[in-house]
This record gives sequence, C-alpha cells and structure tokens, in this order.
Amino acid sequence: MSKPEFASVRIGDEISPVSINITQELLNQYADICGDYNSIHLDVEGMKNHPIFKGTIAYGTLNVEPVLQSIGAFQGTGWPVEGTKLDLLFRAPARPGDTVASRLTVKEKRTIGGKNIVICDMASSNAAGACVIGTAEIVVL
Amino acid sequence: MEQKFNTSLLTVFGPDRLMAEVPFEELTPGFDCGGGTYKVTSEESEKFSILMNDTNPYEAGVVPVGMMYIFGLRICWDRRVFIDGSIRAGDKISFHKPARIGDTITTRLSIAGKKEVTKNDKLRRYLYIDMNATNQNGEKITDIQMSFLMPVKK
Repeated sequence: MSKPEFASVRIGDEISPVSINITQELLNQYADICGDYNSIHLDVEGMKNHPIFKGTIAYGTLNVEPVLQSIGAFQGTGWPVEGTKLDLLFRAPARPGDTVASRLTVKEKRTIGGKNIVICDMASSNAAGACVIGTAEIVVL
Repeated sequence: MEQKFNTSLLTVFGPDRLMAEVPFEELTPGFDCGGGTYKVTSEESEKFSILMNDTNPYEAGVVPVGMMYIFGLRICWDRRVFIDGSIRAGDKISFHKPARIGDTITTRLSIAGKKEVTKNDKLRRYLYIDMNATNQNGEKITDIQMSFLMPVKK
C-alpha cells in the first residue's frame, strides 16, 4: 500500500517494500560519500580471514535504507514527516551479493495531539533473515 | 584503498580529550564527545540518490533521507566515537525538518547513558550516544541515539 488516507489504514496492512542490492561496489562508493573507510566493509582480501564474517559486510546504515525509503514513499514526502520515529536493533550483517528488503506491518493506529500515527513492526532482511528489526511510528498527513 | 571522501565538506570540533581515551567507568551522561559540520552539496545529494536508487518524490532541494547518516558518520570516526571492539546495537531516530542542499548541518555527539547487565555470569556493557543534527538556522534535522555493545576487558 502507498499514500493512504489514515482512516483506510488497517491493522495488518503491509507498506510497500523497498529493496537494495548489496554489492562491493556499493560499499566502496558509500565509503566515498560518508568518509567511513572501516576495513570491515572494504578490505575484500583481508576480511576473507575474519574469524566471524569471512568477508566484507555492509554498513548497518545501508540495511536501514530500504526502511527509510519505504516510509518516505508511504508518506509521499520522501523525507519522513516531522514526528516520525524509528526504534531499531541491528541483528545480523548483510554482505555483498545480498538483497536487503524492508517489511513494515501495521500493528496499531493512534491519534496523539492531532497527529495521526501508524505504528508498524519493521524489519529489513536478506535471504538468511532479519538484519534489522524494530518499530516505526509513522506520521500520516 | 584510495580515499575519495571530499574532506572540504567537513569540519570537526570538540574537546581535546576524546571519549575513546576515557575508561567506561568514568563516562557519564552529558560527556561531550564533540561534533562537526557537514556542507550538503547538490553533487553529493545526487550521487547518493543515484547510488541508493532513491526514486521518492522529494520536494525540490530536499536531500535523500539516507543522507541523515552521512552527516555524522565521518565525524563519529574523526571524534573516535566508534571504539575498537564495540558493536553497533541499535538506533532510536526522530525526524524533524528535512535537510536541504546548501545546508550546513551541525552534528553534536554526547553520551546519553550507559548500562551494565550480567547474564549467565557474563558482563555486558552498553553505551548510548546522542547524535543530534541541526541546520544553520538551529532547526533540528534528526535526533539519533546510537547504542553500542562495548568490549569488556577480561
């Protein structure tokens, strides 16, 4: 669903998902934009010997990206409407080759101080499971 | 790897004593971790939008939402807020005004709190850091509270 009227939102509705493909080139370019050159994301050869990850992993912030875009599309504003909140936990890394997709499911609706708020369970997952989980409080205009 | 980050977009400020130099036991809420400014350019905004394939209908001049992390990440590294061995556990994010091309975003970093939990005889230490971004008019852009699982020396 996208750009609904608040009254038409139902518990259990799914907000249209957004996905991104994680590639090493994406990580390299992200580093150049944000200035975070942590080898855990970029050192392809060195990270092959990492005892846990056995390869580079995506920036945690990239795993949140599909959720951000999905909320922006739902609200029809791109940048989330003032008052929108996310409470998220990083559960597991994503890696080059993964597709990470958002999932937002409406679990509650509230009107507080004149603001209509849709509360969603939220996850951003690859094929192995959730990389990010949490709750989103989405203001609907 | 050759670093191509445009450092001219960034300034960093803060006390001489970095958070990384202070033992966990001595860190207290309100501890000033410093901060910095980030100049938002159309070039970086376009680059980011294309990289993320963000096709949302933004108002003219508003930057792609994922850039909210970009404003602070390099500053966190320069101020050594990301400590060796720490694990990012989560974020609490509040959205305020959108960031726009031409804005100078000021990010301030401070300790919000800490917590020690013992489970199955294993000590876990959590540190919470506020990362607050405002624009040149003093308007809030985002408030992000980052939580970290901190390394425990054995």
